[in-house]
Amino acid sequence: MKRVVSTILKTLLIATVIAVGSTVAVSAGGGQETETLTIYAGLLEEHAALVAQEFQKATGIKTSFVRMSGGEILARIRAESANPQASIWYGGGSLTFIEADKLGLLEHYKSPTAEVIPDQLKDPNGAWTGIYSGYLGFVADQEWLDSVGMPMPKVWDDLLDPRLKGELVYAHPGSSSTAYNVLVTMLQLKGEEAGWEYLQRLNENVRQYTKSGSGGGRMIQLHECGVTIGYLHDAIAFKREGYDHIVFTAPADGTGYEIGAVAIIKGAPELEAAKKFVDWCLTPAAQELGKTVNALQFLTNPDAVPPEEVIQLKNTKLIKQDDEWAGANRSAFLEKFNTLTRTTPPK
Amino acid sequence: MSRQLARRRPFTGGRIRDSIRQLRFTFRDPVLLQSILIVFVVVLLFIIIPLFTILKESLVYQGRLSLRHYIEIFRLPYNIDTIWNTIRLGAAVSALGTAVAFLFAYATTYLKIPHKRLFRILAILPMISPPFVISLAAILLFGRSGLITRSLLGIRSDIYGFWGLLLTQTLSFFPVGYLMLTNLLQNIDPSIEEASQALGASRWKVFLTVTLPLMVPGLANAALLIFIQSLADFGNVIVIGGNYTTMAVQIYQQGIGSYDMAGATALAVVLLLISMFAFYLQQVVIGKKSYITVTGKAAKERVLIRNKVTTIPIYIVCISISVLVVGMYALVPYGAFVRLWGADYSFTDRWIRYVLTIGRRYILDSTTLAVIATPIAGILGIVSAFLIVRKRFPGKKIIESSILMAIALPGTVIGLGYVLSYNAPPLILTGGALILVVALVIRSMPVGTRSAIAALKQIDPSIEEAANICGASSHKVFTSVTIPLIKPVFFSSMVYAFIRGMTLVSTIIFLVSARWQMLTVAIMNQVDQGLYGAANAYCLVLIIMVGFVMIAMSFILKRMSINIGEGY
Repeated sequence: MKRVVSTILKTLLIATVIAVGSTVAVSAGGGQETETLTIYAGLLEEHAALVAQEFQKATGIKTSFVRMSGGEILARIRAESANPQASIWYGGGSLTFIEADKLGLLEHYKSPTAEVIPDQLKDPNGAWTGIYSGYLGFVADQEWLDSVGMPMPKVWDDLLDPRLKGELVYAHPGSSSTAYNVLVTMLQLKGEEAGWEYLQRLNENVRQYTKSGSGGGRMIQLHECGVTIGYLHDAIAFKREGYDHIVFTAPADGTGYEIGAVAIIKGAPELEAAKKFVDWCLTPAAQELGKTVNALQFLTNPDAVPPEEVIQLKNTKLIKQDDEWAGANRSAFLEKFNTLTRTTPPK
Repeated sequence: MSRQLARRRPFTGGRIRDSIRQLRFTFRDPVLLQSILIVFVVVLLFIIIPLFTILKESLVYQGRLSLRHYIEIFRLPYNIDTIWNTIRLGAAVSALGTAVAFLFAYATTYLKIPHKRLFRILAILPMISPPFVISLAAILLFGRSGLITRSLLGIRSDIYGFWGLLLTQTLSFFPVGYLMLTNLLQNIDPSIEEASQALGASRWKVFLTVTLPLMVPGLANAALLIFIQSLADFGNVIVIGGNYTTMAVQIYQQGIGSYDMAGATALAVVLLLISMFAFYLQQVVIGKKSYITVTGKAAKERVLIRNKVTTIPIYIVCISISVLVVGMYALVPYGAFVRLWGADYSFTDRWIRYVLTIGRRYILDSTTLAVIATPIAGILGIVSAFLIVRKRFPGKKIIESSILMAIALPGTVIGLGYVLSYNAPPLILTGGALILVVALVIRSMPVGTRSAIAALKQIDPSIEEAANICGASSHKVFTSVTIPLIKPVFFSSMVYAFIRGMTLVSTIIFLVSARWQMLTVAIMNQVDQGLYGAANAYCLVLIIMVGFVMIAMSFILKRMSINIGEGY
């Protein structure tokens, strides 16, 4: 024990110096030996793992990923903008991508495989390209509906039913792109004034605003609440997992949708590999990987076969969505939402 | 020697001369100088600079210095609600948590009751798991369709909100207080209490006038630590907070959800000020009184209390809390092996297979990093405490307050501070393992420092001075006098560092990279995606590994004949 402590301390100092030095050296030198690719993935972990593995198999590029929520990815590439650590941002709602593009965080790239993808599913300047899309809808616990004798909500106004008081849960628009989509869908469907009034009345029934968009679905899983608003493909996935009590519908009076996107991060350290990835991930084969790991969205490539579970939603009435407007007014809308809902907190 | 110097400090104009004299003494002792330098560099690089970056970010609006982000906070009524929520919850959790911690510590060191070994293990069990376990378990037990509330009592209760948070945070954070208080209680020399008893004081009077006053610094410490952990808690609030929003979550929503990093950093600074105020209050409580018992060591075996009026009620409280904790943890292995939470409770090995294939890299990385961080945190903690309590050198106040402030920093903020500070030249650390190790060290070292400070304050410096006068260098004094005297604190802070390293969530979420991943982030992802089976399987693996390391550590320490509170 006698000399141990001082020896350890000295070693520590030396080790720190070496470690710092070598980190700097490595980041300056850059590994040219084998081609690599780093992905920030905003979708299900299993899905990301499979995509990384298949891409590596197809191209020989050593691929690794970190899974985070969309907002976390944006915050992170923003913080890292002076020295980007990843090249690809794969998955997550297009609103977040639009925001990132406005901040100049995305490298514009028009992939040749993106040509077949419909215009409304990609950015005209090539900042991001859609990989899948999903629709907003109502998700409920059939057992709870039966216990209070309530029919499944069909239109948005059904959610104002007083029987739903304390049983409605959905995410907070401030932290979840899903919930922000709900907010702007209401403003676009009903018009701004009526939309805000609706959200305030809806707030009377809301028990909790969860952090993530999947939070409400999780509570339905465990019978923790009666009804939630979320992406229908999540509900389908839960149901396919075996949660038979989950029921869902697409609102008959129209609903909003989300485009999941892929983009190259500005200053990508592995730009060539990143371009190859974008080309590859838009192919039908790569898009169809999702259904094998329970990611059940519509696919953007018209040649890709979507999962059969979502085909029933094909005729859903969609609103005309203005994502540019939704993105531009985000802070103002969020502040208004916070003020509206907090001043009359749900009991 | 340096202490005597201090006493003789002249009244006027002595400040600078004093500093120079201190410096000279410091230079005469190279090991001392080295340790001061190392601690100083670590504190500067990994606490002060990131904090400064955050402060800078919060004070700049459109390229100019401005208080706008702060004005914004106090303009919006829901922000003020959030601040009150945070303080109210923190105070309640701190009071309840300290009480529970003290009860457990007192029961296991002073009382003659059965199942003490069990209590010792259970009192620290909540530490060895990521924060989601307790709140998830609380929902499964007490939620609307909870096993207890619904199946047993038939009520559709609402656990989301203040009461749920009070329950889960108290259970999550009392273990730190327990570890701290147990160490201190063990160090109280029984002969003092026996003397007062021999002089005619009743047991109750001894407790009130001897034991309790000696514990004041420890209790204040524990209360502060629990308060601060409650302020910074993210995992529990996210899972069970309902509409009861606290600042740690608000910071996350502002920074990550609304892309308003400047507003988030301003909120973080406000949160920090609240913690600093709590710290100041604690200093006032402890005051300038002396809590020294000559050796700071129990010189003889303690005669345990057998009086049934005391033991039975305490035993009942401890056993009820223990049953609750056991119940919550029993859900982890159960959840790891059932097919679907809430729907299909048949057996499956699917999740364990998932964790051992897709999750293997998380497990390996996490363990490697925690193992590296543990000794560094332990040693740095004790060295800095020693320097703070026993030495005088220029810049000491800065080091002391920075380290203690680091406890109060919400994890998300310090993680962001690192990314903002170390992602560009001259020092690039992001993407590597080093920054993660640093984060783990900085998140656990201050707690070690605090408990070592409390322990050192109980030991009269005259022993060390004696050794010093007899010619021992300060490094010799440190290794052969100080360290042996506070060995239990040293090793328990190592154990804490390892556990913290394995269970930390909020700080590292910004620092994990494709090359280095952490287990807790994987668990959070699973919880986020609603894959409870996988989340439980990860938790199970984590708990088994931490448990294994703790058993191994206590075995090795026993061979070295160091007894760190027997149970762990």
